[in-house]
Amino acid sequence: MKLVISDVDNLPFSSSEDTVVIKDNGKIHNCIGCFGCWVKNPGQCLIKDGYEDMGKKLSICSELILISKCTYGSLSPFVKNVLDRGISYIHPNFVIRNGEMHHKRRYKNIIKITAYFYGEDISDLEKETAEKLILANSVNFDGIVKEVVFLNNVDELRGDSF
Amino acid sequence: MINGSPKKCKSSSGALINDLKTCFSSDIYIKNYEFSTPKVSDNTILELNDFDSLVFSFPLYVDGIPSHLLSVLCYMEEIGFKNKNIRVYCIVNSGFYEGLQNRIAINILKNWCNKVGLKWGLGIGIGGGGALASMEQCPLFKGPKKSLGKAFKELSDNIIKDAYAEDIFISVNLPRIAYKLAAEMGWKSKIKENGLTVKDLDRQL
Repeated sequence: MKLVISDVDNLPFSSSEDTVVIKDNGKIHNCIGCFGCWVKNPGQCLIKDGYEDMGKKLSICSELILISKCTYGSLSPFVKNVLDRGISYIHPNFVIRNGEMHHKRRYKNIIKITAYFYGEDISDLEKETAEKLILANSVNFDGIVKEVVFLNNVDELRGDSF
Repeated sequence: MINGSPKKCKSSSGALINDLKTCFSSDIYIKNYEFSTPKVSDNTILELNDFDSLVFSFPLYVDGIPSHLLSVLCYMEEIGFKNKNIRVYCIVNSGFYEGLQNRIAINILKNWCNKVGLKWGLGIGIGGGGALASMEQCPLFKGPKKSLGKAFKELSDNIIKDAYAEDIFISVNLPRIAYKLAAEMGWKSKIKENGLTVKDLDRQL
């Protein structure tokens, strides 16, 4: 399954049998750092606002596609929020991976990440930061980076790219 | 000093601010702000123009800045800063042992500074942040806070001098294996407190 997390409302495609698209319904709450998704109801966020099952959704996806305004080299607040709310995808315990401490896997699926960052004036430093961020995300998910793409305008997104 | 943790109390970010404050003499005026939600008032943002330095202290979330704080940074950019002499410093703590894993979050804040036209000071990346909230009684420069004391001395000196310096990356002064085992013991004990079993930590939905 492909999981698309987007801060763009009008995408050239929509949810289908093998694609789930997560968009902003205007009601998302931020992660409050309670770790309830690890120690109270493992696997699911305790905040019931329609985004509580991100960990489960990540566990059944083979490809994660992020479509986000490049925000100081970060994902935008909405796309980042969805990922922050999805930490139940990983296990609270640690493993040493590439010589660094990371979270242990909860699930076995390998996620390939593609990130589309859009924005008219993305600086070289922001691009460098964004590429490093997606690489770090892939290491923490124990997944793979497929591609990081920078677009001047969100209209450059084409349906056939997906 | 801006606590950017979404936690209302007992955050490592708040504990770090309390430790940093001990490095300043009483003639330095310090005001605390709590940015625990995605919204901050226009008045608060305007008030920040009165300061020489802003120190952000926040936890690492999914390799970056917590989303609520990113929302606040975007709103600050929208409102803008009239005082372009403000220098920005930050303290980023993560549950991972290696302080270097906070470098991306520090760079995101540097990029924000470039965008809003504020001066960059220095960032400190702290590993082993999970242990800090429970070590409030432990003095800086001692035991697990030995490296933290040195880093905060450099940070406070630079704040006083309104200076720029290279980022600093440290870990709590505990062996990595001891920190890892302590964290895992903590999760086991927390899940039991919630009436579940240790096996539930591995639950798959």
